[in-house]
Amino acid sequence: MRNPRVGWALLSPTLIILLIFGFAPFLYVLFVGFNQWNVFSADDGLVFNGLDNFRRLVFDDDFLHSVGLTARFAIFAIGSEVVLGFVLAQMLTRDFPGKSLFRIIHTFPLMVAPIAVGAIWRLLVIPGFGPVPFFLDRYFDLTYQIGSYPDQALMTSVLMDIWHWTPFVTLTMLAGLSSIPREPVEQAKVDGANRLQVFWYVTLPFLRPVLLTTVFIRIMDAIRTVDEVWMLAGGGPGTRFTGIYIWRVVFPRTDYGYGSSISLITLYLTIVLCWLLFIAISGRRKGEVE
Amino acid sequence: MKKCFTIVLLIAFALVANMSLVSADDMWWADAAAPYAGTTIRGVSESTPPSNYVADVLAAQFTELTGINVEFETTSWDQMYSKAINDMEANTGIYDFVYIEQDIIYSYLAQDYLVNLTQFAADNMDLASADYDEMAFTSFADYFKNADGDLFGVPMEAFVKVYLYRKDLFEDADIMAAFEEEYGYPLAPAENFEQYADNAMFFTAYGEMMDMDLWGTTVQGSTGHPASTYEFLESIGPSFGLYNWGINLDAGSAQSANGGALDGDTAVEALSFWLSMLPYAPPEATSSTWDEVASSFAAGRAAQGWVYGENAAWIATDESRSAVTGNVGVRLPVTAPGVIEAAQMGEGYIGYYDGGAFGIPHSSRNKEATLLWLQFIGQPAVQAEWAAAGARITHTATFDDPLIAEQDMKVDGYYTLLEEQGPLFAGAPPFPFHAQVREIIDPFIQRAILGELTPADALSQAAMAVDEELARLGYGM
Repeated sequence: MRNPRVGWALLSPTLIILLIFGFAPFLYVLFVGFNQWNVFSADDGLVFNGLDNFRRLVFDDDFLHSVGLTARFAIFAIGSEVVLGFVLAQMLTRDFPGKSLFRIIHTFPLMVAPIAVGAIWRLLVIPGFGPVPFFLDRYFDLTYQIGSYPDQALMTSVLMDIWHWTPFVTLTMLAGLSSIPREPVEQAKVDGANRLQVFWYVTLPFLRPVLLTTVFIRIMDAIRTVDEVWMLAGGGPGTRFTGIYIWRVVFPRTDYGYGSSISLITLYLTIVLCWLLFIAISGRRKGEVE
Repeated sequence: MKKCFTIVLLIAFALVANMSLVSADDMWWADAAAPYAGTTIRGVSESTPPSNYVADVLAAQFTELTGINVEFETTSWDQMYSKAINDMEANTGIYDFVYIEQDIIYSYLAQDYLVNLTQFAADNMDLASADYDEMAFTSFADYFKNADGDLFGVPMEAFVKVYLYRKDLFEDADIMAAFEEEYGYPLAPAENFEQYADNAMFFTAYGEMMDMDLWGTTVQGSTGHPASTYEFLESIGPSFGLYNWGINLDAGSAQSANGGALDGDTAVEALSFWLSMLPYAPPEATSSTWDEVASSFAAGRAAQGWVYGENAAWIATDESRSAVTGNVGVRLPVTAPGVIEAAQMGEGYIGYYDGGAFGIPHSSRNKEATLLWLQFIGQPAVQAEWAAAGARITHTATFDDPLIAEQDMKVDGYYTLLEEQGPLFAGAPPFPFHAQVREIIDPFIQRAILGELTPADALSQAAMAVDEELARLGYGM
């Protein structure tokens, strides 16, 4: 008979680390979120102000705008990554010349630090010096200035994210596709199903857990995106996502109380979003058990 | 023969005497630093030409003399502030010295982050270098003193934002003739805003006609960085007569209705003019901070512009980084009628006297070793070469140094301008809420640059938002 104490003992280092570095800071942010605290205010101490910070953010146009921008960014980026990732994963399940080389090159962006990704893209697209605006202007007569056009800044951020994270989606999809048993696929073909029907009724249901996990991870990443976009456009119009807005409130403005409350609401929105997505994709209803 | 021998003897004597003097100096530093040898002191600063000189040259010299290691991070402006403030606020003691930009000193003093250097040196006389004298600094040091005259930061850079223009273009006979034919008066560096605008339009059209990468002006108009707000509030605004960001500290308001001026006619006129220059600026203008503006000018992409003086020296002399060496003209920035006269009478200023100092946070664990370091960088012996490399002067005597006199000619009299016209410029207003309020103004300026708001709407909304923030911070009405 197994002794549960051994299990707890083995788990305890991880639990202690989680408690210290995960749960304790969360409790601190929770506490600060209910206080007014700006170290450069006339009264620089913590002053309990109840729900004032949360009331303030409901009417904060900049925050609401940042949520809208983040949503657009997440939808465009993750949607594209999932489609592209699936297509590339399908491609990699087959043999073709140069497959190994392609797989290495394709995975390369994953190895680059986000801040370096931002720097690379900034050098590519900076007006006046970057090759992208130069060639777009010279050969297509297109004006491309991420500092002047917020939509261009947003779409450049989306493209950068796709470039950086599609390989991750490809790899998870590839793992999912590789784990699908051959029999159901062959059975469906024998029964006369075309390729679309095989994909819809066989492949996709088998991929659902992998898809769900991948989308969850990417949603959480997208919502907290800061470094890449910060490097690219400094969080100006078109790229002032929620993460960057929080950074601005907490650091340059040193409004720790309000920044904490925005962080909490963002965490709450992330959890709700993931839960809704989980229900939508998994098709689970209240009371259902796997 | 005898005469020659005497001369050789005298030279030898002078050399030996000089060496012994140097050795005596070196000995003092080594002796004073002996208890701290092997200690590592850490600092953080913005990556600027003067800071990079400290990191690359002075830190190594100090370590060689004293055995005290200096780890000096030169990072981005935003990161510098985040790191320094977080460290001082949390009292973690990561940094032994921090860069104090002139405009943030009032916030730091209000929070009692910094060690009183005058007092600390007086309390540690065994660490007081004979070569270091607080009185040797220019009046810029006054910004880092409290009401009692005690110093809280050793000035390490000081410069003004000047009007730079390309002499090769402005003095080209064909270009001059073309300009005069089109505008009816001679081409010259701008002395008023109308002339500035004419120059900007002319050179933009000229660049297009000649298929050159040339535009009429710089604009520090980044829509993702506070640099644009700073250019408007600290360079363009004052040159129109908008002072102290349009904030009336006594009234605790930025709105005209309550005694402020951020939404007043002068502010709107200044912003309208500045925004009207955007079509004549290089395409990178809306992504440009102070660094990119300097790079654009150095690349020869702008005929004239507002450029921070710390960049003047390398733009004018460093052929490895600048395409316009030897062709840089330096003048006072353009001002509206009456602004210079007001500045001369001490009733205003024409632009920002920028700069910074190194101070010791209370959280430092190595204050004594850091005091030695700050005295080292504050001594006269290191000033001239530092000034030549970084176009910064913090000692009065440095202006008369032969090296600076020589450099002055290469930079079209920038150092002379700094010495003689410096008093027309002023540091940032004494706000203890500097970054907090600037962050509030940023989005409105950025939206005006994008054309989403008119200048009047942008400033009206900004003034209202500033008042709300001032009230929240406890400084408002």
